Amino acid sequence: MTAAPVALQESTESPGRFRRWLTSPTGAQVTAAVVFIGAWQLLTLIAPRVPSPASVVNFLYVEITGGSHGGIVTGEFFEHFAITLRRFSLGLLIGFVAGVLVGILIGLSGLARALLNDTVLVLLTMPAFVWAFLTTMWFGIAWQAPVLTVALSAFPFVAVNVAQGTRAITPELKHMSTAFEVGRSKQFRHLIVPAIAGYIFAGLRFAIIIGWNGILLSEWFSGQAGVGFRTRYWFDANRYRGFVGWVIVFIVFIVVVDRVILNRLQKRAFRWRDQSDVDFIQVEEGQVGL
Amino acid sequence: MARVVIERLSKTFPPPQKGGSPVVAIGDISLEVDGNVFVSIVGPSGCGKSTLLNILSGVETPTSGTVSVTEGDSPAHLGYVFQDARLLPWRTVIDNMLYVRDDGEAGAARAARYLEMVGLDHTHDMFPGQLSGGMQQRVGIARAFSVEPDLLLMDEPFSHLDAITARSLRDHLQDLWTATRKTVLFVTHDVVEAVQLSDRIIVLAPGGRIFDDISIDLPHPRRAADPKVATLQAEILGRFEEMQPSTAPA
Repeated sequence: MTAAPVALQESTESPGRFRRWLTSPTGAQVTAAVVFIGAWQLLTLIAPRVPSPASVVNFLYVEITGGSHGGIVTGEFFEHFAITLRRFSLGLLIGFVAGVLVGILIGLSGLARALLNDTVLVLLTMPAFVWAFLTTMWFGIAWQAPVLTVALSAFPFVAVNVAQGTRAITPELKHMSTAFEVGRSKQFRHLIVPAIAGYIFAGLRFAIIIGWNGILLSEWFSGQAGVGFRTRYWFDANRYRGFVGWVIVFIVFIVVVDRVILNRLQKRAFRWRDQSDVDFIQVEEGQVGL
Repeated sequence: MARVVIERLSKTFPPPQKGGSPVVAIGDISLEVDGNVFVSIVGPSGCGKSTLLNILSGVETPTSGTVSVTEGDSPAHLGYVFQDARLLPWRTVIDNMLYVRDDGEAGAARAARYLEMVGLDHTHDMFPGQLSGGMQQRVGIARAFSVEPDLLLMDEPFSHLDAITARSLRDHLQDLWTATRKTVLFVTHDVVEAVQLSDRIIVLAPGGRIFDDISIDLPHPRRAADPKVATLQAEILGRFEEMQPSTAPA
């Protein structure tokens, strides 16, 4: 009496489980990836200039392992990647710190808002390629151009979001802090920064994407090394699998930074509220994005 | 042991609409509070109770008259309990306590002691969002006591809580006050609450005038269930109704 229904249940459950997996978020993501690669493969059949997925994977393998691309050209993945990462980190750090400080200033002081708000909004509308061109005109072919491009493209996204967040801090908590005579630096660390953490993350996300775009453009135009330079090298050499291979590297880099680093930092910062993952390019109310 | 002297204090706010008449929140109040007493300021909404606390804490300035809050010869050190707990949601309970006064080990020990006194010694590492409204308000009370103020200002601290929680918190507050004997100015619209807690009740009427000044002579700590407290509560409520029904507090 008890054994039969169990056996019945098991036999009907296995196809059900697969169907359930297929319609789960993970299943849907895998399906999307398979469809994308399939479509790509089909495209190579009708458009011969489009490199196939297999040839791109093969290119990336040679590029990363430092093997020979044929002749004397060898893979140089880590050399270029390290140079770009260094420039990107420095530029992002400058743009981020400046953005947080200016954002808080705009959020707290009416005078600072009147002085700086419009400037920041103008910077926000400036496309990254304008900075890539301008900094190349100023510095020529030098490391300052890509660093400054990243800083200038990242800065306004951080500043605008942080300013929004600072203005949204509840006056009750400020009043409480003033009433208990809590010092300014303590208020900054324990009240202002945690209160705007969500806005800082939103700003940082956009800053990373925009800054990464900026550095690729800057290196494309003026670099003698770096991932942007290397991408152009393959483009100029008419080796499209190299070009597409590097584009995939850019995408993987952004996804890894977002999913692995930012999501972990965010979870840590929001331990206090039961905060679920914030998805890629998710804009909360009042936050300013792309 | 703070001393509060209020002389001919008045506060008028500009008219809320163009062409309207100015709003008189406080009209010519003189008052003195001295020593380790628990004083309640009672009155209906809009009679200037909170304005009076805001002037004492320096958040608002008087239109005329003077206030002085002193401890000996120097300005008194103040503590606050607000209507809502006003805790930093992203800091643990113990960190919220240390936020307002952190002087190393002594501060940590004091914070722990006051949390224990309000029955919350198990919540040190919890975030405010994990506590009920009543527990949060107890943290707010412990925080105000932990700065060891000369004068404690409390602005309707139980008005946002349900009746049963409020009743238990009043008992907690009585224990805490009996143990520490701070000078307290407690704003409320609830006469019954004021009778249980206070040594003295100052009744304000609309227009910000002092309507009555009542001494309550019962030993602390007083329990809400104590028949003596209940009798006195009924008697004083009766006095309000006799005196002037239209201005009597609810």
